[in-house]
Amino acid sequence: MGDCQSLGDCDDERVGRIYEYLDGALSLDDLAEIKAHLDGCEDCAHQYDLECVIRTVVKRSCKEAAPETLKAAILARLHESKPAAV
Amino acid sequence: MQTLSHPAPLKLSLSIDSTVMNISEPEQTIESAVASPDAEQPTAKEPAVVRATDVEGVDVVTETTDQRRARFERDAMVYVDQLYSAAMRMARNPSDAEDLVQEAYTKAFSAFHQYKPGTNLKAWLYRILTNTYINLYRKRQREPLQSNSDSVEDWQLARAESHTSRGLRSAEADALDHLPDSDVKNALQAIPEEFRLAVYFADVEGFAYKEISEIMNTPIGTVMSRLHRGRKLLRDMLADYAVDRGYVKDATQMTETEK
Repeated sequence: MGDCQSLGDCDDERVGRIYEYLDGALSLDDLAEIKAHLDGCEDCAHQYDLECVIRTVVKRSCKEAAPETLKAAILARLHESKPAAV
Repeated sequence: MQTLSHPAPLKLSLSIDSTVMNISEPEQTIESAVASPDAEQPTAKEPAVVRATDVEGVDVVTETTDQRRARFERDAMVYVDQLYSAAMRMARNPSDAEDLVQEAYTKAFSAFHQYKPGTNLKAWLYRILTNTYINLYRKRQREPLQSNSDSVEDWQLARAESHTSRGLRSAEADALDHLPDSDVKNALQAIPEEFRLAVYFADVEGFAYKEISEIMNTPIGTVMSRLHRGRKLLRDMLADYAVDRGYVKDATQMTETEK
């Protein structure tokens, strides 16, 4: 097991760091630190894997195409209106 | 209603370099784009406009209605599927989602002269969509978008807090991966709205914290806490679905309900 203290004092904080890591919201130093930790810590690596799976699954499930009728309706209304004067 | 006559065909050839609006490049945020005057244009009376012209070859002051409409069609309509998907996370049924997207596009076009070419159009549209949603639909409900964080039941939060360290294992990751789309969408719908939208904006659309804060009109710290809590709630919901589907034998395999 790696030293989980390096990610935070409690589980909540650690998982928050993993979120930030996945969100691309960390500095380069923090990034390297977390990456190193994930390589050595099975528990945190699981959290990381799960979060990756969840994001993949959510992304996959939420791809909905707008109905063609909606696109046509938007364009139709677009041609009825004029943008406000500058 | 037709307020101007437009005899010209609408497919105008503006001959604009398509790489200028490459959305895969790091995009400027709404705020910074609006705020920064161009220091390299000392003679410019209106830095923002001159800058916009530089970026895209578009002069929003002198372009005609037809030109602006064509620009809007070309640049904004490519996001219609994405905005519709987002609207489905807001309005919860296809009919309302369609109304929402229609209204958002109408508003966006009427405000398109305020959009600075070359800045983050996608985030700009999402912000309009979100505002439209709040104005059109949330009015029907008592609580505004930003104040119902407390609607998460205590037990939900306690549960979410309790299995962050030893919750799901890789076998369970496989189980989550096999959940049907309908379960995943239902799980998302089940978490409180402002958490759901934050998670959607971050995880599906890949918006940065700052962009989400601008889209939802909340501080970055609030965005981060919504993401944090929302993701944990979502994980719980997904785990429950995996159990219901029989992908795992019982809930204790998926979650630690007690410390």
